[in-house]
Amino acid sequence: MSTATIDTALLERAVARLPGDSLARARKEALARFATTGFPTTRHEDWRYTNLTPAIDVSNAWLRRTATGALEEGSDESVRRYAERLTAQINAWWIVITNGVVQEESLMRLREQAPGTLEARSMASAGDAEPVGHSSIAADEPMTRFNTALLRDALHLTVRAGSELEKPIGLLMIDTANSASAVSQSRVSIEMQPNSRAEFIEYHASLGENVHFANVVTELHVGSGAAVDFVRIQDRDTSHLQVGRLDAAMGRDSSLRHAAFDLGGALIRNDVAVDIAERGVSVELLGLYLAAGQQHIDNHTRADHRTGPAASSEEYRGILTDRSRCVFNGKAIVHKGADGTDAQQANHNLLLSDKAEIDTKPELEIYADDVKCSHGATVGQLDKTAMFYLRSRGLSRDEAAQVLTRAFAAGIIAKSPVHAARSHIEGLVDRRLQVLVGDAL
Amino acid sequence: MLEIKNLKARIGDTEILTGLTLTVKPGEVHAIMGPNGSGKSTLALVVAGHEDYVVTEGSVTYMGEDLLGLDPEERARIGVFLGFQYPVEIAGVNNAYLLKAALNAKRRAQGEPEVDAFEFLKLAREKMKLLDMDQALLNRGVNEGFSGGEKKRNEILQMAVLEPRLAILDETDSGLDIDALKAVAKGVNSLRDAERAIVLVTHYQRLLDYVEPDYVHVLSGGRIVRSGDKSLAHMLEEKGYDWVREAASA
Repeated sequence: MSTATIDTALLERAVARLPGDSLARARKEALARFATTGFPTTRHEDWRYTNLTPAIDVSNAWLRRTATGALEEGSDESVRRYAERLTAQINAWWIVITNGVVQEESLMRLREQAPGTLEARSMASAGDAEPVGHSSIAADEPMTRFNTALLRDALHLTVRAGSELEKPIGLLMIDTANSASAVSQSRVSIEMQPNSRAEFIEYHASLGENVHFANVVTELHVGSGAAVDFVRIQDRDTSHLQVGRLDAAMGRDSSLRHAAFDLGGALIRNDVAVDIAERGVSVELLGLYLAAGQQHIDNHTRADHRTGPAASSEEYRGILTDRSRCVFNGKAIVHKGADGTDAQQANHNLLLSDKAEIDTKPELEIYADDVKCSHGATVGQLDKTAMFYLRSRGLSRDEAAQVLTRAFAAGIIAKSPVHAARSHIEGLVDRRLQVLVGDAL
Repeated sequence: MLEIKNLKARIGDTEILTGLTLTVKPGEVHAIMGPNGSGKSTLALVVAGHEDYVVTEGSVTYMGEDLLGLDPEERARIGVFLGFQYPVEIAGVNNAYLLKAALNAKRRAQGEPEVDAFEFLKLAREKMKLLDMDQALLNRGVNEGFSGGEKKRNEILQMAVLEPRLAILDETDSGLDIDALKAVAKGVNSLRDAERAIVLVTHYQRLLDYVEPDYVHVLSGGRIVRSGDKSLAHMLEEKGYDWVREAASA
């Protein structure tokens, strides 16, 4: 058992070397608070199955270099090419965040193209003293403190009251894995003012052969009557690491539809936490994870129902092969007085190899009386009868397995919001499934 | 075309086929009848290549080729078709997609060019009309939420599109109302020609009123105990299967 921890002395020196800009005070405060906890360990119930030691090792090596050397801008030609290709494929207003730094030229382009009802600014260039527009929802999470302590920039988006954006906003968080940028902290804060509507695509990518650890924090303040459709696509190199979270605070009669697609990464941990403190809220969380080789993908979700009536529903599906391991933990907490809550959770898994492992736990904690809650989880293999049926019609074993796994994945894709990203997601999932099925059979 | 010799097959520890011999020539329609548990469905599944059944003895030759050495998909591509007794529901897989993929898998194997979406739809619509099928079923999931009759018609639709050389229909008639039975019979009869052979596995004589067989075989205890022409089917209808069992043990 490893007892790896972040080297706090190195962290302090690295933080001290960051530019003395407006964020300096917030960093210093976060650093002090982070030092009291460090990274979560497997002794925490929420982190039981996910050991962050590899991320700690990458971080310490990077801190050692950063404490003595210079921070480089990671933007290079391969990033530019990746961004150009992606932004041509998905029709959206794109903002590019490279190694945690908001690319000014993408902001300028956005300001030219998008309506004035969408405001976007980089905290570092604007000289803001706080990483978020208003109080951070998850400031006390250890990984959020780590993010703030090493923050070089943050993006703040505001969608003005009553406005509806006609195109999705694309957030391309792209990292280059070289020695100077082996660790990145990306930070986005979105404020949806009352009765506004918008779609978002948060896209995680990383390039390069070297090790990389990304720590991503996204906050979403959804004002009363506002509606958000959000997809997160994680397509990192399968040797890279990521811890990411989305925290959403929901206003009265607001809605959020969120779909998360995890295709790449070696060690991935995602948290989605939704806080429902007002009436009439509707939240739908969807997820699809595909894991091969030794990939480890952990999805934790949490819905806090503090008042009712309100509804949250959740469906995550996973396809695993080889020695991959995935974790699903979906928690709905219905607090005292949250009568009229409707909370549904489901997690379904397809195991293509007997060495793959899924740890799944849909959880309900109910302290109110008048509620409607359900949860369920399934783990299965490809249906033998269906395989024989397809093969008896002339499809090869591989084709039949691909047809069945694609159908299983399609159950999530078909429900997923943000139509502009749909065909791109289908393409990514198809390509990844070819790898999974090819490996498995 | 199909030559089955002394076939013995088991599932788990249970021997189901105990030495079955059957010869089917091009252009012929054979009916295989027999009581429940006599091995009718097992015969159909073994010929199609179901992996749960282990052949312990005997041979199955199709057009001179050893069928038992081929995967199910290879058998399908050289013209063997099994109409399932219980067609499988596959949610999320489009019915038209499967039909087209099946047709093109066969065409590729035979060195023919694949059909495009336009040609395929024209062909599928034509065959659906013949079977009196609702065209909307093309865009549904494979057998997903289909009624019993729709599922069986869908099997016949697949057969009509794939135009197999050897079609084995496993109790395609069971559970059908008279209209569906007639539609299924029409589909089967439309495929009858001098090059093709059809094996109807059935419990009842009813289907044979609409698809007239050249030969009728009675299966009992995993082998054929009696063969004859269609009058044998009428005898069975009158006297029941006990009569065959007595005759076989006599």
